[in-house]
Amino acid sequence: MESGDPTAAEDRNLLEKAQAGDMAGFEALVERHRDHVYSLALRMTRSEADAAEVTQETFLSAYQHLAEFRGEAAFGSWVHRIAANHSLMRLRHSRVVKNAEEEIKGQPEFNERGSLAEYPESDWSRRADERVLDSELRRAIQQASDGLPESYRQVFLLKDLDDLSYEEIAEITGDSVPAIKSRLHRARLALRDAIDRFYNDG
Amino acid sequence: MFTCKDSIDQLLEFLDGEISADDEEHLHEHLSGCPPCVSFLKTYRATPNLARRALGETMPEDFARSLTAFLRERCKKK
Ligand SMILES: [Zn+2]
Repeated sequence: MESGDPTAAEDRNLLEKAQAGDMAGFEALVERHRDHVYSLALRMTRSEADAAEVTQETFLSAYQHLAEFRGEAAFGSWVHRIAANHSLMRLRHSRVVKNAEEEIKGQPEFNERGSLAEYPESDWSRRADERVLDSELRRAIQQASDGLPESYRQVFLLKDLDDLSYEEIAEITGDSVPAIKSRLHRARLALRDAIDRFYNDG
Repeated sequence: MFTCKDSIDQLLEFLDGEISADDEEHLHEHLSGCPPCVSFLKTYRATPNLARRALGETMPEDFARSLTAFLRERCKKK
């Protein structure tokens, strides 16, 4: 995001070309950001076909608003926000049942004195830096994300995958910042629990 | 004195740097005597980055090709 970031500098360079009407410049931008947009849309909608369409809509919308983009923010974060909006719109349209009261699983358990109950002492935090992620672990994390109640999954993905600020998430979802933080915290606890079970049982 | 539950409740605010000075003191006090909470904190802190990496996908090639075709079709010069 900062001006010294070579990725952002290259984006700015391509953006100028795209804004001047150079389609190759725009296509290069698409190529650099499509995996991210697709990943967010896939985890949001949990459907490959929907994710492919959301990705198309996102970049079409970016193209149509290219002239309005002033470049005070990074192109990446701008596209992330458009992708977030389109993913949520898709969810609102395709929603079958919305269960707002759905319980979130994977929360820590405490005894009556508020101490962690039954806690296996394993600190896998340093293994999180390993270059290659174990494919079983990837699957466990994807399942945990897919299994989050929808309102938690949205907030978690917008923050931890799409890197939006609390204020941006509030604007997109219409929820308050405290509610967003509370859901994010519980979603992270659930994800932490899933990873913990992978390292302890696996 | 914070319990484990109090401490874990504060982790998001703590890692965001938004915790109050009082609560931060209580938290440190608890952590200094509770190894399980220390490893809980470390693994909680490592979770978002790990999740980001696990949830990133490469767009399948046929989707990427349709995306290019779609945009060439729809993004006509004005
Ligand atoms: Zn504790």
